[in-house]
Amino acid sequence: MNRVAMERKVLSENERAAAELRAEFARHGVFAVNLIGSPGSGKTALLERTLECYDSARRVAVLTGDIQTDADATRLARYGFPVRQITTAGACHLDARMVRRALEGWDVAAIDLLFIENVGNLVCPTSYDLGEAHKIVLLSVTEGEEKPLKYPGIFFKSDLMAITKVDLLPYVPFQAHVAEANARSIHPNIEIVRVSSTLKTGLDGWLEWIDRRASAIPAQ
Amino acid sequence: MHEVAVAGGILDAVRAEAAARKPARAVKVGVRIGEMAGIDPESLAFCFEALVQGTDLEPLELDIERGSADELEFCHLELEPT
Repeated sequence: MNRVAMERKVLSENERAAAELRAEFARHGVFAVNLIGSPGSGKTALLERTLECYDSARRVAVLTGDIQTDADATRLARYGFPVRQITTAGACHLDARMVRRALEGWDVAAIDLLFIENVGNLVCPTSYDLGEAHKIVLLSVTEGEEKPLKYPGIFFKSDLMAITKVDLLPYVPFQAHVAEANARSIHPNIEIVRVSSTLKTGLDGWLEWIDRRASAIPAQ
Repeated sequence: MHEVAVAGGILDAVRAEAAARKPARAVKVGVRIGEMAGIDPESLAFCFEALVQGTDLEPLELDIERGSADELEFCHLELEPT
């Protein structure tokens, strides 16, 4: 029996595609973020409010992933920015090659800010690098504050946690400070914002985080 | 659910590695999985077994070691001469 070392990542094909995307984003000064959350955690709603706040001159684009339908792209296209749906036809996550294909035909150099809305899922998207600058995890108050402990991988890998639907806090048992403490027990440096897309509260903190992190990307 | 895709990726890599070291047959492949990798080892083992069945790689074994943080890497491959 011959035992040989195999020193590489299991998802090396995705890693390669993601590295290419990351290099392309860097070349063109694109700030890309990967939004991850459970189905119904409010990813699309937060993006709607975000696009609504942006001036039409802002060079922002959105890729939105779902297993089926282009419903989210239709919702997001109303704000006048380039939007494309990625339909995964069963896959529970986006991978770097899907993002690569979805960008075809777009002038990437004309994009400063790219939102990638992943398929609603807290597990599978964790393993797939999409070439983004940051992963952002959404946790809605209608879920449980123990989610960061139940799904530690995504909270470990995300640089920002957005607690969504905070307008519902008076009506649900969710304790935001407990959820935040749980997230920090997994990832001590995770930044946190609290937002309500319905009442449009807390958006300042969210938009400020995006701008602050985007400004770390050299302008082209 | 993405454990199926991950298992498929492992088999592709094993096939490539064994082909590069001909004449040899892969017997066992080892992977290291961290707790933050978002992979359920049991589910991966199940998918792996299902995918190996009936292929040229049968009876390839999967050896899962606990890795650190979000590690999801190969560690070794055992081959026997054919």
